[in-house]
Amino acid sequence: MTFHTSKKAYYAAFIGPAVFIYACIIIFPVLYSLGLSFFNWNGYEKMEFVKLANYVRMFKDDVFLLGLRNNLLIVAVSIFGQLPLGFILAYILYRKMVKAQSFFESMIFLPITISAIVVAILWAQIFAPTGLYTTLIQRLTDNPRYIMAVAQDKQLAILPILFVVLWMYTGMYMVIFLASMQKISPSVIESAIIDGASEFQILMKIVAPSMSNILFTTAVFAIAGSLKSFDLIFAMTSGGPAHYTEVIAIYMYTNTFKYYNYGFGSAVSIVIVALSMGLITIAQKVYGFFEKKYE
Amino acid sequence: MTIHNERTTGWRVFAYIVMVFFTLLTIGPLFWLFYSSLKPHQDIIQNIFSFPKTLFFENYTEAWRLGKLGIYSMNSIIYTAIATGATTMLALMTGYGFAKFGYDKLTGFFYKFFILGMLITAHSVLVPLFLLEVKLNIDDTRIGVILPYIAFGLPFLIYLATSYIKGIPSALEEAALIDGANYGQIFRMVILPMAVPVTATMIIYNFLGNWNEFIFVFILTSKTALRSLPVGINAFAGGMSRNYGLQFAALVIGTIPMIVFYLFFHKQLKKGFSAGAVKE
Amino acid sequence: MKRVLGIILVLLAVGSLAFAQAQAETVDDGKVKLSMFHYLDLTDPVATANWDILLSTFEATYPEIELEIEYGFNEPYHDKLQAMAIANQLPDIMFLWPGKRTGMVTSAGKAKDLSPWLEGKLDGFSPTAVAAQGPNGEIFELPEQVTATHVMYTNEKLMAELGLTLPKTLDEMVAQGDVIRAAGYTPIAMTNGDGWQMQSCFLSALIDRTGGRKWMDSALAGDVSFADDEFINALNVIDVLAKNDMFSAGINTLNYGSALTEFVTGKAVYYIDGGWRVNNLNGELPADMVDYVTLNVFPSVPMENGQAASTAAVAGTGHGMNANLSDAEADAAFKWIWFYSGPVGSAIRQSFGALPAYKIPMPNDIDPLTVKLSEFVNNTPSGYVIDAVMDGEGMGVLHPALQELIFGTKTPEEVGAEYEAWVAANER
Repeated sequence: MTFHTSKKAYYAAFIGPAVFIYACIIIFPVLYSLGLSFFNWNGYEKMEFVKLANYVRMFKDDVFLLGLRNNLLIVAVSIFGQLPLGFILAYILYRKMVKAQSFFESMIFLPITISAIVVAILWAQIFAPTGLYTTLIQRLTDNPRYIMAVAQDKQLAILPILFVVLWMYTGMYMVIFLASMQKISPSVIESAIIDGASEFQILMKIVAPSMSNILFTTAVFAIAGSLKSFDLIFAMTSGGPAHYTEVIAIYMYTNTFKYYNYGFGSAVSIVIVALSMGLITIAQKVYGFFEKKYE
Repeated sequence: MTIHNERTTGWRVFAYIVMVFFTLLTIGPLFWLFYSSLKPHQDIIQNIFSFPKTLFFENYTEAWRLGKLGIYSMNSIIYTAIATGATTMLALMTGYGFAKFGYDKLTGFFYKFFILGMLITAHSVLVPLFLLEVKLNIDDTRIGVILPYIAFGLPFLIYLATSYIKGIPSALEEAALIDGANYGQIFRMVILPMAVPVTATMIIYNFLGNWNEFIFVFILTSKTALRSLPVGINAFAGGMSRNYGLQFAALVIGTIPMIVFYLFFHKQLKKGFSAGAVKE
Repeated sequence: MKRVLGIILVLLAVGSLAFAQAQAETVDDGKVKLSMFHYLDLTDPVATANWDILLSTFEATYPEIELEIEYGFNEPYHDKLQAMAIANQLPDIMFLWPGKRTGMVTSAGKAKDLSPWLEGKLDGFSPTAVAAQGPNGEIFELPEQVTATHVMYTNEKLMAELGLTLPKTLDEMVAQGDVIRAAGYTPIAMTNGDGWQMQSCFLSALIDRTGGRKWMDSALAGDVSFADDEFINALNVIDVLAKNDMFSAGINTLNYGSALTEFVTGKAVYYIDGGWRVNNLNGELPADMVDYVTLNVFPSVPMENGQAASTAAVAGTGHGMNANLSDAEADAAFKWIWFYSGPVGSAIRQSFGALPAYKIPMPNDIDPLTVKLSEFVNNTPSGYVIDAVMDGEGMGVLHPALQELIFGTKTPEEVGAEYEAWVAANER
């Protein structure tokens, strides 16, 4: 009996402090936001209960829908760009196809160590109409009015940002994949080579299957990270020009901190959380499907 | 070995192309940023490409002085060190509780409860959090910054710690129990020493995140004496003064410490990922 | 492992010490202590040098008042001020806008009306500066300057080299475009990456030409609409310029300030921005260029029903005080406010190139461009600045619409209708 009591007490002592801090700092404010999302409130006047009006208004707003589209593009680039690229890079390093692996590994990982604010200012200085890249092309083509046309196009303006997202985070996934690959026993690969397996067969038949779990995990990170992305885009374009690079997190920030629509802003942040959960559930389903198929 | 080389020649060429391309993409912009930071503003706007004629270190001394980067660096170190230490410790304790104590229903609930935190953006809690801190009288204090750092760091670190500690054989723990050790002693003498690799990863990962954090310090503190480096650096962009030389120097000042930090610790970072983030 | 644990423990210990230090409060020494939230770009060498002198002069004059100052700039300043306003944690003295930008403080009754202290003191100010800021004639902040938001800086030498003269009409201006572009230059350097530039620095002056102040008053009241011809005529000017490729390449993706480079390196004939840009031009223009840069307004446009040859101007920002201050604290706070925007502070700020709202003679050793700006402001009629009289959230509709107008994806009529719809639904 005392043994069990003491076990419970220890359990509580181990997880209690973390649960307490986390509940106060994150869960309480999130619930507060959830409650606020059914009200109109500008911060000083009386709150007005509006039921679901904030959510309805959001899904009728073209700006929100464009932001949603851009966010989903970022999710897509993360899952279908960063993960495969990171995987290929990790595989190249794992199979020691290049010399100076640790140099290359460091170089590709380096961007993730730099703060998003710095990365954004740096690339904005490169892509801007007065920036490094643009000036270079202007001189090469002798056309002083050359500018990057994609940045001026409603459908394509998000591309430079997708590029920077790829630049910044691919290294992160590469390192995670590489670490997992290095746990595969070398003898398995050796014997496959002796059996005459091609490099592609090794990749598809030995390495990839043992990575299914980590692929799922990283996909979850990618989804959560993409929907939260704020700092980078905020410092790079703030969603402009004309909302072409809008994302939901910036939409929320603008409505909350610029226009003081606390209720509406809260509704947007609740939608961000709900979207993440939805996408991750889909990822889980897809993963479960493949698990079963391989078993 | 020649056989090996022949069958992989195509892959090798491809590998070098990819690696060199990525490396150039990293080095190019940083190299440009670095040498441009040694040019006076006038030279930068006259010619964005040219190398510095002389090394104009005044950008650095001016940026350091005007931007109060000395105070901010000190604060960054304090926040990052304390938040990282505390978050790692709490995450290891929680991870141990989740991984080894059973109580499946409760653990499952709390585990999901923490994982959910990975989906929550800092901005969605900002206003309620500020009101809360004012009520508790901890706004504009160091603890008021560190607590949110801890709370937002916990989900991922708990995830890492739990999956790693699950992989530690239970036999060791049971043997210690039979020898009469209590759970606190087991945590100290068995779990912590076994968890060194993942601890290193947790520390490094959390350290990077805390060091680069911006919005909490910005909103939750207002005294210059309490602010951190990213807030100081951000002040150089978008101002009316328009001095690219100072701005670039500040960007370099914000970048170098983390690059050095990474170069020192990247081996440990990888080790923990390999151990922690994989199915047990 | 022990080492790692040891390090963690040491860090925690250092941490608690740091808290202890931060929490140690100051002792009472009989001084009036006032907290202040000031708007300052700490990375701007000129502005900080100016600020340091203001502070040391104030401390020497009023040793019994102790200021505890925090700083913010741009968006972050407003985020923070807003958070403080909601939590009822506003500082004793804060930096405020005359219009709606800081409405969560002024409209919410969280700032004191300064009128009782200002009785008989207003004559010293330029009248535009001390217009009422609240519905009952309140003055919440004492403006430090009057700001002209539209100036067309002109590189007269480059203009002469290309065989051009200052255009008198929009058509003449557009006709110059081919000559200027053929020579490899930009006709009008301007940025619009954030949308506010076109609204504040150009459209505001244009609507004063096509409509005028009275028209804007009626539009605010709902008697006329932003879908009416007056507003459309103003938007048409921007449309014509954009269609004729008159602006800087990629204007909608140019961050504020970056078009200045084109102008100071002699690659643009005209440069449209606010009067405050004189500060940067003083620092960045090559010495000889200062002589042949002139300050003008945009030439006349078709259908001018308002004021001809006008700019747009707004009473400047300045300090105001917390509504909750006690009488003694409020008196002390006003000493600072008066010091800052009154004769003493104005003279100091003027010596750094500012154009104070308080009327003082111009010293002889001032930068030539500042003299030109002073003449410009004194001799140019002005209209409203749109975002100073209209709601900020509506700007979130107008600004992107202006960018789309320039992209050619919206017509002037669409922009007018879109903005009118928002104003009708939310502002009247």
